[in-house]
Amino acid sequence: MLIRRNHIRLVLLIVFALLALGRVPEAWKPWCVLLPSLSPLLNLGGAMATYTFGASALLALPLLLLPFFKGRFFCWRLCPMGFVLETVSRLNKRNVRLVRKVPFIGKGVALVILASALAGYPVLLWTDPLSLFTGFFAAWREPLTWVTGATAFGFVLLLLVSLVAPNLWCHWLCPLGGLQELLTQLANKLRAARRPVQSPVIHAENVRVGRRVFLGFALGGAVGLAYGNIKSAAAKAAAFIRPPGATDTNFNALCSRCGNCMKTCPYGLIVPDLGASGVDGLLTPVVKFRSQNNAQESFCFQKCTACTQVCPSSALRPLKTEEKQQTAIGLAHLEKKDCIAWEKGEVCMVCQAFCPYQAIIELNHKKVKCPSVDEEKCRGCGACESQCPSLPVAIVVKGRNPQVSLTAPPPTPSAQHVKS
Amino acid sequence: MPSVKRRSFLKTTVSMAAVSALSSVRLCAEEAAPISTVVVVHGKNISRMLEAGVAKLGGWDAFIKPGMKVVIKPNIAWNSAPAQGGNTHPELVKACVLAAEAKGAASISLPENTCHPEQETFKTSGIEAALKGTKAKLYRPAKGDYQKVGIPKGKILKSASVPKDILACGCLINMPVAKSHSGATLSLSMKNWMGSISNEDRRSWHRDGLHQCIADFSTFLKPSLVIIDATRILLTKGPQGPGEQAFPDELILSTDPVAADAYAATLFKEEPLNIGYIKSAQELGVGCGDLNKIKIERVEA
Repeated sequence: MLIRRNHIRLVLLIVFALLALGRVPEAWKPWCVLLPSLSPLLNLGGAMATYTFGASALLALPLLLLPFFKGRFFCWRLCPMGFVLETVSRLNKRNVRLVRKVPFIGKGVALVILASALAGYPVLLWTDPLSLFTGFFAAWREPLTWVTGATAFGFVLLLLVSLVAPNLWCHWLCPLGGLQELLTQLANKLRAARRPVQSPVIHAENVRVGRRVFLGFALGGAVGLAYGNIKSAAAKAAAFIRPPGATDTNFNALCSRCGNCMKTCPYGLIVPDLGASGVDGLLTPVVKFRSQNNAQESFCFQKCTACTQVCPSSALRPLKTEEKQQTAIGLAHLEKKDCIAWEKGEVCMVCQAFCPYQAIIELNHKKVKCPSVDEEKCRGCGACESQCPSLPVAIVVKGRNPQVSLTAPPPTPSAQHVKS
Repeated sequence: MPSVKRRSFLKTTVSMAAVSALSSVRLCAEEAAPISTVVVVHGKNISRMLEAGVAKLGGWDAFIKPGMKVVIKPNIAWNSAPAQGGNTHPELVKACVLAAEAKGAASISLPENTCHPEQETFKTSGIEAALKGTKAKLYRPAKGDYQKVGIPKGKILKSASVPKDILACGCLINMPVAKSHSGATLSLSMKNWMGSISNEDRRSWHRDGLHQCIADFSTFLKPSLVIIDATRILLTKGPQGPGEQAFPDELILSTDPVAADAYAATLFKEEPLNIGYIKSAQELGVGCGDLNKIKIERVEA
């Protein structure tokens, strides 16, 4: 029985790992959103905080309903993170008594997450195990650097914790486990309520649970509200670029650091942030046009919406192609003193040649065509920055936070000359 | 010091003037004899136009022998449909590939360092679909596909990274689309090699002097045949477009890239020798950019 149970878990682990790694056919890649979306914390937490309930919210249903029938079946039989940690925990032969005294922190964390999500700023979303699992595999891409590998940090930390204190995470810390436990308790309570005779012991237990739920919710709501207000004031001035479709003020909270968007970008433009977006923005996705991950020297291609489709927690809103083409994630800034046309009088205009939005205006300077940025048209796609031949690069995109929607349509063929 | 008499001075002056005048007349006569031929095919059916043009240059046998490795270099830089005029017309590429297959080419490859993501670009340009069922290999060269070569005759360009397929081929066909260009004024056949070289080369050419580098590179890489697609040309907003277009309905064929570019420039009402790289290429002896010395053969197909 044990063997069969572990077989299923192993298969699930491999399937989810392959999905998270992106080692699947191109058409399946959007499914990498599946595993983290199963978590009600990420899925519903994100949806609540942004007031966007789409069809993907249905993916949270299994883990909401399962506890009513099977308790923590997901934790012990299905969760790939749980399987890994349980396996690692077995390496520790000592029976650590200490952890038995730990209260079930995970339950409180789950409540805090959901309550603060209702307040618009879901704190601690990044503690979700399915996100930590996805983040670990998302880090494995070419070339692997300290920066791109950073999303693997949480997973590695959990492995170490499990070695020192076996099963600590699954039994006492995991917020998803905590949610499952809370729902199981709720189910038991409902069942008990239907029974004619109530034992006083169960009654007392119910009162305690009710008080904890209330306290957890109150704390979460208060933190969420407070944090949200502090953040909205602080996040504006930053010079980092978010992937298209990013929410503005509560992005750092909404982002669970699962790395899906980073891994999904076909051009390797999205990397974990290591400080530019603030301490609470650690490991959130930022767009970098000049990095060794962008081997083909690409830019945010106007027809691509890949990253916006794979966010489990609504930090990135799914965009249609037309919406994406109107979304300005940044604004190009030209440094004339570095530009070979402005400064050296060389013919260049590579930025203009590559700009998909015809946002580079040409000016005449000493009889040489020189570039200038049209702010009404620039979407910050980085075509200019990725191709600029100047050393140092003369045209650099800075983030527009919040992102703006430019209603000027992308260029279409103008009236064509009739053949004479 | 011997004094120069007025009469003798006049005599020598007049005779010298006469000699120089005569000799310049002779030079003019030499210049008038065409040294390059450009075939301009006008029509609507691209594959018929191609056949007619190549026939005028001696037929495919003059360029492709059985068992030869053939490389075709269209311009497939941008993710745009054929009508926009940013890329070589897929029908032209296909017609040429089919001709090479019919002549028994051992391999036909089309290495293209696209400006937009290659999968999308190859699809949207219509060229991937046009090549379906043929043995032509359309690809974007990876780092390992390049080889660094020296440019001995280059004035400022001393080396460049070129796809190995291009270096190893027996027949190299340069097949650009004629269009305006934000940097180089016009993008024609010699400019088209910038879609072959590595990204790093592209950048350094702009830094070092775009026109001279284009001309320098042409001293090294000599196509067997140049076929410029001028069925529709982007008059403005090139190289990517969309912009204003004109429809000359022409294919321009030559074995001299400078001459082909010089003729193509006239479609844009540009004086060829005002285009930096055409002038420099002529000075380096790559070919002839002087319209007076180019024999233009017009064919209707």
